[in-house]
Amino acid sequence: MASAGESGDGADGKGVTTITIISSDNEAFEVLEAAASMSLTIRHLIEDGCADGGIPLPNVTAGILAKVLEYCSKHVAAVAASSEAGSSSNAADAAAAPEKEEDLASFDKAFIDVEQDTLYDLLMAANYLEVKGLLDLACQKVADMIKGKTPDAIRQTFKIKNDFSPEQEEKIREENQWAFE
Amino acid sequence: MTYFPEEVVEHIFSFLPSHSDRNTVSLVCKVWYQIERLSRRAVFVGNCYAVRPEHVVLRFPNVRALTVKGKPHFADFNLVPPDWGGYAGPWIEAAARGCVGLEELRMKRMVVSDESLELLARSFPRFKVLVLISCEGFSTDGLAAIASHCKLLRELDLQENDVEDRGPRWLSCFPDSCTSLVSLNFACIKGEVNSGSLERLVARSPNLRSLRLNRSVSVDTLSKILVRTPNLQDLGTGNLTDEFQIESYFRLTNALEKCKMLRSLSGFWDASPVCVPFIYPLCHQLTGLNLSYTPTLDASDLTKMISRCAKLQRLWVLDCISDKGLQVVASSCKDLQELRVFPSDFYVAGYSAVTETGLVAISSGCPKLSSLLYFCHQMTNDALITISKNCPNFIRFRLCILEPKKPDAMTNQPLDEGFGAIVRESKGLRRLSISGLLTDKVFMYIGKYAKHLEMLSIAFAGDSDKGMMHVMNGCKNLRKLEIRDSPFGDVALLGNVANYETMRSLWMSSCNVTLKGCQVLASKMPMLNVEIMNELDGSSEMEENHGDLSNLSKVEKLYVYRTTAGARDDAPNFVKIL
Repeated sequence: MASAGESGDGADGKGVTTITIISSDNEAFEVLEAAASMSLTIRHLIEDGCADGGIPLPNVTAGILAKVLEYCSKHVAAVAASSEAGSSSNAADAAAAPEKEEDLASFDKAFIDVEQDTLYDLLMAANYLEVKGLLDLACQKVADMIKGKTPDAIRQTFKIKNDFSPEQEEKIREENQWAFE
Repeated sequence: MTYFPEEVVEHIFSFLPSHSDRNTVSLVCKVWYQIERLSRRAVFVGNCYAVRPEHVVLRFPNVRALTVKGKPHFADFNLVPPDWGGYAGPWIEAAARGCVGLEELRMKRMVVSDESLELLARSFPRFKVLVLISCEGFSTDGLAAIASHCKLLRELDLQENDVEDRGPRWLSCFPDSCTSLVSLNFACIKGEVNSGSLERLVARSPNLRSLRLNRSVSVDTLSKILVRTPNLQDLGTGNLTDEFQIESYFRLTNALEKCKMLRSLSGFWDASPVCVPFIYPLCHQLTGLNLSYTPTLDASDLTKMISRCAKLQRLWVLDCISDKGLQVVASSCKDLQELRVFPSDFYVAGYSAVTETGLVAISSGCPKLSSLLYFCHQMTNDALITISKNCPNFIRFRLCILEPKKPDAMTNQPLDEGFGAIVRESKGLRRLSISGLLTDKVFMYIGKYAKHLEMLSIAFAGDSDKGMMHVMNGCKNLRKLEIRDSPFGDVALLGNVANYETMRSLWMSSCNVTLKGCQVLASKMPMLNVEIMNELDGSSEMEENHGDLSNLSKVEKLYVYRTTAGARDDAPNFVKIL
């Protein structure tokens, strides 16, 4: 089992450090340290030297962990590519930069287009693992499900019980409409 | 969703920028109400009397940006008596007690005292943005307090305020450590400012993007300032008389050439035609131009400048531009979205500087036009119909024919059909001001077609209560209705009272509503403040009339608005709240 600090051999002979992450249902995922470090939680564990033998995540199942790591790997590769393009004097690289941004944006859009339950799990995982980009992406998606809806429609979408009395609800609604719009 | 930690829910809410969505989520359940209210950063209060300031601060203690509006819009035409109200004091005091994290305050048509500005300056350590529009009641001493104590000040934006001048000291009150200014607008300040202080302030403000000077700033000073601000995006010049030094000329032209980011220009106080060519090198990059304070430039000077502004999107100008000038605008400014043509002070009977011809030309050359304010002395139905077809994207359409009840200049007919065409073609219309000779028919069209209308201004129009009823019944999204000198009475006032719950306010002056009608309204709709105002002589007259006739006496001014705060306790004695 590969562990933190051991160098794998990349095709170009450069050392690439990989990390093993273990899901709550005991599945192991080997990823680049750089990708795993997009999670602040994991990065701190690595820095504290707790990564030997793999990092267990009791709160994240294999299915969700796979998706989170897919997000991190894609984004870390994009960051590497753009910094290469930035330092490259190749005009073609520089010209390709906005296109690559567009690629990333469409990746994100497709990535977050998932079932509601998966979306929630991704959101919770991104929060627990502190992956800011993914957290923002998931929150934006949930916000988009809220925009323009009525309170009742929102309650139905998210299965939330209305615990206001009719009088309380009416009072807030009036105040919202008369004072704050 | 209920198992999400609160900070996650709060983070989701941060992706809901609109007040309306935040209001909605606050109603979903008790937990969401709490999370939302503690995390709302921007609060908008459209009518300062609709809610108590203490309550706003209690509900939203972590607000960072507060916007409050006071007097009704017709105050701009001096229809609201002085001392009516709209005091900023209670708002600033409540915020000082309950939300010291306040960073931004925007106020419109409110009465702000120097004491309030002093309190503001001392109470909010992170205060960054002050925007005052059409306010009054303060002097340059209040500004001195802001300058002295708001160490993180980024924006001081004073638009169209009535400010008492107590000398130039205020500008020198910005300490040397103040280097954070991004926007400074003191165009409405009447007095002199110390040019040395101004130059030093600009020199230590590397982030300055918007600077609007007042009339007292000379070309010489402007030339020295502009050398320091190559990143300026918006400039309001000082005076542009032809009295300046030759070095200033060179400095100015050099500096202007370096202002590659400059997009918007205003000021031009007392502009001499000699100064205008300085601006030519900038014209090709301008998107906004405000020449409405410049009666000294004639149509020829104006068009020479504007014809070079191919990218112009927003133009404010005086009617001395004339129809011919507007034709030049139409052929040069294809991207024009907003046009305002203001009346010059002088009007020679029989001579109209701008007419329907100019507006038709604009509409045919500038199909993107979506916002219009046009003062003129005549209009025709044909022109309006043509305009409506050329520009079907109006969001704001305000036509102000200066003579009340003026008919179609060709046919002598009412202008019902013309305005009817506008509301029919521009399906997204949100704001409309009508003028000229108009019957109940125009209101029938408005009620039928203007489904998204939010604000309607009516003057000297209509024949009967039916007119107003068409609007009240048809315009479901109406928020503000303001009417003057029109024959609408109690029947119209009481015709659809449920509407007043969904509208922010109704203003009626010199109409036919009576005291009795207002009393009935007040008793049917207890959530409304029904304010009646009669001229000072009139109020004592009303007290004295004890007979039945008193109830039938006409109410001079009526202002109705929904409120959660009950009757206000700061009303002057000429305002009676029923």
